[in-house]
Amino acid sequence: MNNEKPRIGVFKYSCCAGCEFQLIYFQEFVLETLGAVKINYCRMLQSGGIEEGPFDVALVEGAITEQWQADQVKKIRAVSKYVIPIGSCAVCGGVPAIKNTAEEFEAEQRVYSDLSAIHSVKAYPIDQYVKVDGYIKGCPMGVRDLTELVISLLLGKKPDFLEFCVCVECKLKNNICVLVAYDEPCMGPVVNAGCGALCPSHNRACYGCWGPMKDANAKALADRFEKMRLSRREIIGRFTEFGQPQTEWKPGQF
Amino acid sequence: MNYGKEIQIDYLARVEGEASITVALDDQPDIKLKIFEPPRFFEGFLVGRKFDEVGDIVSRICGICPVSHMTTAILAVEQAMGIKVSDQTKILRKIMTISEIVASHLIHLYMLAMPDYYGLGGVVEMRDRFAKEIVRLMQMKEVINGLTGLIGGRALHPVTHLPGGFTAVPSMEKFADILKQLKQIKPKAAEVVKDISRFSVPDFHSDSEYVAIDNENEYAVDEGNIVSTQGLNISVRDYLDIFEEAEASYAFAKKSTIKGRSSFMVGALARLNNKFDKLGPETKSLAKEIEFVVPNDNPFYNNLAQSLEVFDGINRCIELIESNKFEDEDINVAISPGQAGAATEAPRGLLYHWYKIDRKGFVEQANIVSPTAHNFLNIEKDLKKLVEQNKDKDRNQMCLLCEQLVRAYDPCFSCSVH
Repeated sequence: MNNEKPRIGVFKYSCCAGCEFQLIYFQEFVLETLGAVKINYCRMLQSGGIEEGPFDVALVEGAITEQWQADQVKKIRAVSKYVIPIGSCAVCGGVPAIKNTAEEFEAEQRVYSDLSAIHSVKAYPIDQYVKVDGYIKGCPMGVRDLTELVISLLLGKKPDFLEFCVCVECKLKNNICVLVAYDEPCMGPVVNAGCGALCPSHNRACYGCWGPMKDANAKALADRFEKMRLSRREIIGRFTEFGQPQTEWKPGQF
Repeated sequence: MNYGKEIQIDYLARVEGEASITVALDDQPDIKLKIFEPPRFFEGFLVGRKFDEVGDIVSRICGICPVSHMTTAILAVEQAMGIKVSDQTKILRKIMTISEIVASHLIHLYMLAMPDYYGLGGVVEMRDRFAKEIVRLMQMKEVINGLTGLIGGRALHPVTHLPGGFTAVPSMEKFADILKQLKQIKPKAAEVVKDISRFSVPDFHSDSEYVAIDNENEYAVDEGNIVSTQGLNISVRDYLDIFEEAEASYAFAKKSTIKGRSSFMVGALARLNNKFDKLGPETKSLAKEIEFVVPNDNPFYNNLAQSLEVFDGINRCIELIESNKFEDEDINVAISPGQAGAATEAPRGLLYHWYKIDRKGFVEQANIVSPTAHNFLNIEKDLKKLVEQNKDKDRNQMCLLCEQLVRAYDPCFSCSVH
């Protein structure tokens, strides 16, 4: 590995910008990190910057909901060594993809009377359009995986991102299972870990903001919800709040 | 004028979200704040969602003021469904709301606005020259985000807050611990006010109406009437009769106006112009020390107003924690149909949410008007005046002035479009 500082580009598409703020919330490490890497492009943090790259790592937040974003993310791919989607919108569609559950332009029509300037397409994650090199999951993205990325980059190693479900973290915390013990419709069994089982630790069922875990058994959980007398509409709701486009959760979307 | 007929600032930096400014300089300058932040259609896809998901979903409108959207939506849903909450819940909401205002102001002041005043590109370049200030900012942010996160489970997109109350309440030991930290950062907050008072602010006067939420008992953030410096005083229930939104051909955000009147300003400066007397005594003497007086009609002073709210907000959080006891509570919610709106003071000003809930508890209709939609027309009005007054400036100076003005309003384009 050479001694040049890794060059970072941060790009935002359709989202709340919370993941960029999470970079700032990264407070205990932010000063060291800013010293160890070179942020060549991040519109929210600095004027100017080199949008054209090249980048060692492009961090991309937000879902793709317009054609120009898809075109641009392809250009970013071409000039970046690694492309990492950050946060649920970029990783699995997130909240903006809820609109995919309705007919095309149904949600749009409820908001604008003049649709002539609206060029919105279905909301998809970044990997729908380009190859990616890993995911920093979470809504907002998780600090543990972000730290893992920065360290891996500096050491020149492959990042070891968390790939197991929320239940594992819940068990490690010795929480009482809110699904089994209290009949709460907890998404934990099908959701990727990283939050530290935040909701169950606060007496509440996980609502899935980290998005799908790979190989999730969504069918079994949806059946369980049905036995708990959740209506079909409520079950679909739980499986479409974060991760509507993802195949892992399709069995819960009927 | 020694430049062409038009200036264009593409993709404004150091603001939340995406917008550009175009200025056509004919006899009458024509200003357009082109907000190209892609719409996500929250009001569209909220339809059909369950009432208790609304807070979690709308917090994702904005990564800098998630608590505001979540709280305002929950207040509206509770009113629509006739859900009552405890006094403790109201106090916890207030603390969360104020702590978020403080955190948001800190980010805006140091990371987004300050580089302008020292000719720097951003906070990365500030690291060497302003190391002391940046370290102070980080320390303060850690404590104040810690407070939001203590109550909310996490500071960004909290998880404990639902219609009816909080799923978990921190122990008194944890409150005692954060109280100690708040007291430690209080003197630092006074330093923030002094830092910001050193900005050299352009001489500019805007003839604007200032709108804020006000009540008799406190520096209101979530309860009270909507008032203005030009005599408006209405119940939040009447909001939709008084305010109206119009679509703009060149922006995805809508423009809000007061019917029969015109544009207005919301945010920290608008709040101070309406209720300066309700700030704490220490904040008032600090304001006196830096010679800040109201009414103040220079939007560039919004930064200084924010810094005073940082100090006042930390004090209020201390008072609210010291004067209350907190314990776990049950949440009791019965589903019942209805419709209602609610308003709060988000960091950037007046925020309004309205929902219609059906008999099974699903959203039938939603309406959200953000602070930046409230400010949109006023920003353009002020830009126009600024350009007219500075026609002799060269292109770079003019661009910087325009950007500085827009940033002083602390716009949030993600919120404005949503």
